[in-house]
Amino acid sequence: MAVTLPEGNLEDRLKRYLDGFSGRHGLRESEIIGNAVRVVVAPGDVPAVLATAKEALGIRHLSFITVVDRVGSFELTYELIDLRGARVMVKAVIEGEEPVIGSVTGIYPTANWHEREAYDMFGVAFAGHPDLRRLYMWQDHFDHHPLLKSFEISTRRTFEGLR
Amino acid sequence: MLSEERRVEQQSALTQPAAGRLAAPDVRDEFGLETIDMSMGPQHPAMHGLLRLILELDGETVVRCDPVMGYLHRCQEKIAENRMYPAVIPLTDRLDYFANMHNEHGYVLAVEDQLDVEIPPRAEYIRVLMCELMRLASHIPSIGFLMLELGAFTPILYAFRERERIQTIFEAVTGARMMFHYIRIGGVKADLPPDIPQQIWDYIEGLEARFQSDFVDLIQDNEIFISRTRGVGKMTGEKALEMGLTGPPLRCTGVDFDIRRDYPYSIYPELEFDVITDTAGDVEASYRVRIAECLQSIRLIKQCLEKMPEGAVMGDLGRRLRPKEGDGFGRVESPRGEFAVHIVSDGSDTPYRVHYRDPSFCNMQLLQEVVPGHYLPDIMPIMGLIDPVSGGWDK
Repeated sequence: MAVTLPEGNLEDRLKRYLDGFSGRHGLRESEIIGNAVRVVVAPGDVPAVLATAKEALGIRHLSFITVVDRVGSFELTYELIDLRGARVMVKAVIEGEEPVIGSVTGIYPTANWHEREAYDMFGVAFAGHPDLRRLYMWQDHFDHHPLLKSFEISTRRTFEGLR
Repeated sequence: MLSEERRVEQQSALTQPAAGRLAAPDVRDEFGLETIDMSMGPQHPAMHGLLRLILELDGETVVRCDPVMGYLHRCQEKIAENRMYPAVIPLTDRLDYFANMHNEHGYVLAVEDQLDVEIPPRAEYIRVLMCELMRLASHIPSIGFLMLELGAFTPILYAFRERERIQTIFEAVTGARMMFHYIRIGGVKADLPPDIPQQIWDYIEGLEARFQSDFVDLIQDNEIFISRTRGVGKMTGEKALEMGLTGPPLRCTGVDFDIRRDYPYSIYPELEFDVITDTAGDVEASYRVRIAECLQSIRLIKQCLEKMPEGAVMGDLGRRLRPKEGDGFGRVESPRGEFAVHIVSDGSDTPYRVHYRDPSFCNMQLLQEVVPGHYLPDIMPIMGLIDPVSGGWDK
């Protein structure tokens, strides 16, 4: 079974993606930089925006999810590529100490481990994730999230309950 | 047979926490047969690095495969946040240690994305030349590992003979055999020594001459090889895309995607090469894709040597690097697939955040999807299809 990938010239495709997003969702910011479409959306809209990207626009590959700890808020970047030269960056900022965002595993199954990694490293919870366990760190007796800016690398960590 | 209570206890000890686990198919039939849980690794003679697979077995058939990782986790992303930009390059060598040049290249591209620096053409050619040699030094042993896991000992010796010679070339160029720290922001560390282009050329000619007999004729039509790999790990292109595969595991399912062509970087647009695909989508197809990619790498190396201009190898950089605020992206085709780096800069001389997207990590998701239904001994050929590297998936 052959896989259909997007066709046509790069500029037209970028424009089509941008129009596709702005026609369906409220975007806080949107621009085209080089070969990338960059959109900033409300955190609650992320699953819907990614569903549009996959189903309506035919962008098939979720490359990675980056979480940035902005101390007090978390910035998430979903990097999508259409495998033919165009990139789509979907950004969302979650406020608050206990960040929660909707999972996109139902749309891009590959997000499964990316979200588990983000949860492990930052404590960002993904609502609706089928298997939200820590990926790298110990499952029990370790309640730190190492990539938070508040986690100092020189501090000695202990395993509560195991001593 | 274990009592039900004991079984539940043992299972939860193996896979805590039980809540939120992937739903396992219920294979206990009317005869009351049970599945057993088995832990494969982290210390397993055939495993690629430190990986633990929690397997649920029905006889010899796997019904659930749950990879547990983190045994080599060094939290490279955290270490990188506390170093200056150039000091992160030697760390990237320790990521996927079979594709060090590609890691350096990906990271350097991400930093250069946020800098105004012109890379001299000779440096670009040297980068691509080194990356393609690295691809040979990764693909050939990966074929050797696959055969070793199937019980053939000869190919790994041939493979490491080739890798050894390529490492000798790297040693002459960079001073190190594995942890190079050669590709720098703005260019490369040093020019090629004067006799190296001729040495690489001679080596590549020799490799081309013996490639057919050592890696194709020896393996391709072997009956045991075919019976252990044909139809094993079979997946469709749709499924592969859904799992986020890239590199040879994706191309062996027939999806035509190569970052060198589709997201061109460096001087790849000026070079001629073919993107290799296969349609079968099994372990044998991934072997064929890797073999054909080796020949394409040889072609690229020859073009690099022929076209390489003279000139400087380092661009003009300031004394301290301060990339402008914002996101920098670098994306390269490593031997295992898409290696991407995302750097968030706050305008200072240390990165605010570095994120690596490693192909081994993403490709390993196919274990959960593809292994169930296969026999236990098929796991190792499927690992050979992915060819993951411990340093890569554990960061």
